[in-house]
Amino acid sequence: MILIMAWRNIWRNKMRSMVIILSIAVGLFAGIAVLALYKGMMKSRVRTVIDAEVGHLQIHDINFKKDYEPKFVLTDGAAILKTVSSMPAVKLAAPRSITTGMLSTTTGSAGVQINGVVPQLEYEASQLKKKIVAGKVFDPVKNNEIMIGQKLATKMKLKVRSKLVLTFTDTASNMVSGAFRVTAIYKSDNTPLDEKNVYITMTDLNALLGISNGFHEVMLLLKNDNDVNKVQQELKRAFPAYQIESWREISPETDFMVKTTDQYSYIIMVIIMFALAFGIVNTMLMAVLERTREIGMMMALGTNRLKVFSLIFLETIFLTLAGTPIGILIGWGTSAYFNEHGLDLSGMGQDMMSSFGFGTMVYPEFPADKLLAVLLIVTGTAIISCLFPAIKAVKLRPVEALRR
Amino acid sequence: MNTVIDAHNISKVYNKETIPVYAVNNVHLHIEKGEFTALVGPSGSGKTTLLNLIGGLDKPDEGQVRINGLDITGLSANQLIDFRLKNIGFVFQSFNLIPVLTAKENVEFIMQLQGVERSKREARVKQLFGQIEMTDKLDSRPAQLSGGQQQRVAVARALATKPQFVLADEPTANLDSQSAANLLDIMAKLNKEEQITFLFSTHDQRVIDRAHRVITLVDGKITSDTATVSTTHDNVSEKK
Repeated sequence: MILIMAWRNIWRNKMRSMVIILSIAVGLFAGIAVLALYKGMMKSRVRTVIDAEVGHLQIHDINFKKDYEPKFVLTDGAAILKTVSSMPAVKLAAPRSITTGMLSTTTGSAGVQINGVVPQLEYEASQLKKKIVAGKVFDPVKNNEIMIGQKLATKMKLKVRSKLVLTFTDTASNMVSGAFRVTAIYKSDNTPLDEKNVYITMTDLNALLGISNGFHEVMLLLKNDNDVNKVQQELKRAFPAYQIESWREISPETDFMVKTTDQYSYIIMVIIMFALAFGIVNTMLMAVLERTREIGMMMALGTNRLKVFSLIFLETIFLTLAGTPIGILIGWGTSAYFNEHGLDLSGMGQDMMSSFGFGTMVYPEFPADKLLAVLLIVTGTAIISCLFPAIKAVKLRPVEALRR
Repeated sequence: MNTVIDAHNISKVYNKETIPVYAVNNVHLHIEKGEFTALVGPSGSGKTTLLNLIGGLDKPDEGQVRINGLDITGLSANQLIDFRLKNIGFVFQSFNLIPVLTAKENVEFIMQLQGVERSKREARVKQLFGQIEMTDKLDSRPAQLSGGQQQRVAVARALATKPQFVLADEPTANLDSQSAANLLDIMAKLNKEEQITFLFSTHDQRVIDRAHRVITLVDGKITSDTATVSTTHDNVSEKK
């Protein structure tokens, strides 16, 4: 009966109840929108890290990443490539020779990471071909071609066909230089990487480094994101002398960002609900004050305090939960729409987004995995909101309430 | 006869700190089982306060109230709620039904609080609505009922759990003559058939005329206590 009374009570003042239900729905929608946006952004960032930057897994000589010294090559690289390429979970394995050096032009110089790649594999491994905004891909018959990022091109005033010189140390610690001509300028969602990474062919780089056979890195793309740990363990067993790292270890800032963003989005959700709680408290307090005489009468007849508390508690829960499916539904619909069509955030500043490694087109994703937590936050809000009005109600003295 | 209500030298004082006002002043009252008693007096004479003290809604500053021998003045607020539920039926002046419940649910609500099982509740509801002649209004909400009908439902609710006695505070104050007469008929019938003790405050002469006993309260003190013999609408009385 208390349940029935609570449900009917919230409809006694339809307008007031609808206002608070809609407030909760809008608040919940806002919370879900934030969660969906963050989830979309983080998913997109992780995809970029995996698909366009570091892959799922990387294999290096155990000493290579300490100082990026070119002498630490994977000497049996061909055998490694053959083994990993035959693993069923592996989609693609791309070798890279890597060193750091100085890029010089007539107007200045800049420190860069020089990536020696196998073009056909790299186009797929880091989507390098897709990122080209000017120029053309490596010409198989030409030597000493280089692809540079747009940010670096702007900084160094370089264009397609411009000449530049790369200077670095070879495997014997001798200073070597090579002149290169810009064949293409690329642009990714990560401006700092664009400014730092240049691409030449592995053949050109190995020739300058003095590596006759081998390379520094094997980058692996897997068929399934969930296989990372499993394949990493397999590789560690197969190549115990090498360093096998997952994208989480290579790009810990991305993993950290994903985890902290989850926390931030919950905090935002709690703040929204906390603000809404005042509205709920106000509504329920009005409901209690308006019904002082009725509650007093119920207590006079023998309704104990627990039941009066339960009545106000249930009314608050109903009021709050009535808005919940509406908020979730709007949140789901909006997320689904923008998940398909994308949300263009270029108006917020393209440079700002890309300087943090984010694209300006975000595809929000409904946070179904966080729905339980959202419901707990909403229910917690309802419980906290009902306390003050409910305590006010149970503290009524029937004899005084009946006089009103 | 059994004494149901025994109020022993009870007083209720307001403004104790400044100028004390005695709402009820040293009242001594015995009500026996099955009595149909009217508590009369002008406004402000302390009728409602006395009913509140007897009903355990308020506590006296002096004296004791015993219900069936139990001193209720020593009970805690929670114990009083439980005591009222099990022992006392209330009919208030301004109808006081729960507006979101139907007439039937209003009566059933009290029985449900007592933990009466569903089949027994339904049988009792059927019986009571038969007695108040409102079997066709079971599913009506209070707003759909007239004042008299609401007050009849309130009486049915008060009697639902077969209390020791019913306290009615000005039950006919807001009713027209016909409704008041109907209500009194029903209360008298239930008093006779179920031996329910009724104590009601009133200054409605129609109610006073139907009472078996009339207690007059002035300035918080009982000034007269008269037994009358009443038949339906006749007005024959005799002094105690």
